[in-house]
Amino acid sequence: MNLTLKIWRQKDKATPGKFETYKADDISPDMSFLEMLDVVSERAQQNGQEPCAFDHDCREGICGMCSLVINGVPHGPEAATTTCQLHMRKFKDGDVIVIEPWRAAAFPVLRDLVVDRSAFDRIQQKGGFVSINTGGTPDGNALPISKKEADLAMDAASCIGCGACVAACKNASAMLFVAAKVSQYAHLPQGQAERSRRVLAMMEQHDAEGFGSCTNFGECEAVCPKEISVRVIAEMNRDYLRATLVGTDA
Amino acid sequence: MEDGISPPAPGVGKVVSRVHGSTIGQKAVMAVSGILLIAFSFGHMVGHLQMFLGAEKYNAYAHFLQSMGPIKWAIRFGLLGLAGLHIFSAAQLTMRNNAARPIAYANNKWLAASLGAKTMRVSGGIVLFFILYHLLHFTVLLVGTAGFSGENTFPLSQTRLLNGVAVPVFVDNVFQRMVVSFQNPALALGYVAGVGLLSLHLSHGIQSALQTLGALNSTYRPFFKKVGPALAGLLFAGFAVVPLAVLAHVIDLPK
Repeated sequence: MNLTLKIWRQKDKATPGKFETYKADDISPDMSFLEMLDVVSERAQQNGQEPCAFDHDCREGICGMCSLVINGVPHGPEAATTTCQLHMRKFKDGDVIVIEPWRAAAFPVLRDLVVDRSAFDRIQQKGGFVSINTGGTPDGNALPISKKEADLAMDAASCIGCGACVAACKNASAMLFVAAKVSQYAHLPQGQAERSRRVLAMMEQHDAEGFGSCTNFGECEAVCPKEISVRVIAEMNRDYLRATLVGTDA
Repeated sequence: MEDGISPPAPGVGKVVSRVHGSTIGQKAVMAVSGILLIAFSFGHMVGHLQMFLGAEKYNAYAHFLQSMGPIKWAIRFGLLGLAGLHIFSAAQLTMRNNAARPIAYANNKWLAASLGAKTMRVSGGIVLFFILYHLLHFTVLLVGTAGFSGENTFPLSQTRLLNGVAVPVFVDNVFQRMVVSFQNPALALGYVAGVGLLSLHLSHGIQSALQTLGALNSTYRPFFKKVGPALAGLLFAGFAVVPLAVLAHVIDLPK
């Protein structure tokens, strides 16, 4: 396949970026999108050009490192798929592909297509965990959890923190991410003790990081590579309002 | 947790600061005020459908509303307050949301958003001007009043005793004002366009408000994604049918 790439190039946080056009010739349709970028970068390097920086790690769709807004859609045109699992056979010979970084004030571009997602870490540090005292391992099944609740918790817990929800949201809101991290504990008995504090603290950090607010368009749900439903946002809204109006932790 | 946030003591000041100072809180204000304004709109619509019952019934209804005194003023100021809160929260959140993405995408695709969702700000802004015109037209009687008959000109069939003599009760002829106004095609079609935009606004607004208040789950959300726009359509039909019926002379001044 022969493709034309329009890639966002930016030297660092402070320097304004711009699009540059690259030819990507003789691309195998069996390559992943990142492998295609590897090839293009290698050729650029051989020609003495600076290769383009982009995030990647496991390339198995589970780590949440890869990003890229491809032709206006975070993680590209295939639903429920990370960029690393997207294959070039999803494109046509001669296509022009526009590649942009996640765009959000809370995710500053570090270089080219690499953005700083540490805002997510700071939100997690505010309460995306269960505080426990260490001790002996509890007996299996000592805490009964229904299959339904376990499934709801697990669906939320499948969030890999890639930030595609922020990239897709027209308000650059991280509500789907925060809600997934809140919901995964809201459905489990271990999460109840800190339920009110968790949602208040994590949302306070969300707002402080400069993410936008949710307008319930559902764009985040549509691009989430783990297909996390916006029902977690409704659940978090419910928890947040309850915690605000009446909530004290049990 | 070392976040320094203690479990909230449910004090009024703390609740207000937390609602005002958070995105979810501001959205809840939008949702609650929106739902109350929608509830008023449905009552308003049902009231105006009485145009089809004729001048006597409609003017008696209008007279009943006007005779509520302090309650009328409480509702009026309540509605203004709700609209104010709705617009204030919208402005706050919009400024925040614009700041959250300083550099726009060169290429932006919509995957899920409905037309109503994408046009919320535009439809909301135009509906604001529509409502202002509507109030100046029918409540304050400042604009579009050509052909309006004066106050207390319609005799109800009910009578009252004046010095022992039964005389008719004269009330505002609101029916006549509505008919005269909507016989003007510009006013009638402008009204239809206004309620059309309101309906477009609510086609996203109803389900969005419920989602914001946490009232939806995996079962209710698909349901309200259909019911929300259906209710918005019902509101449009109920409002738009009156001016259209006047234009078609289905509703007309008594001969």
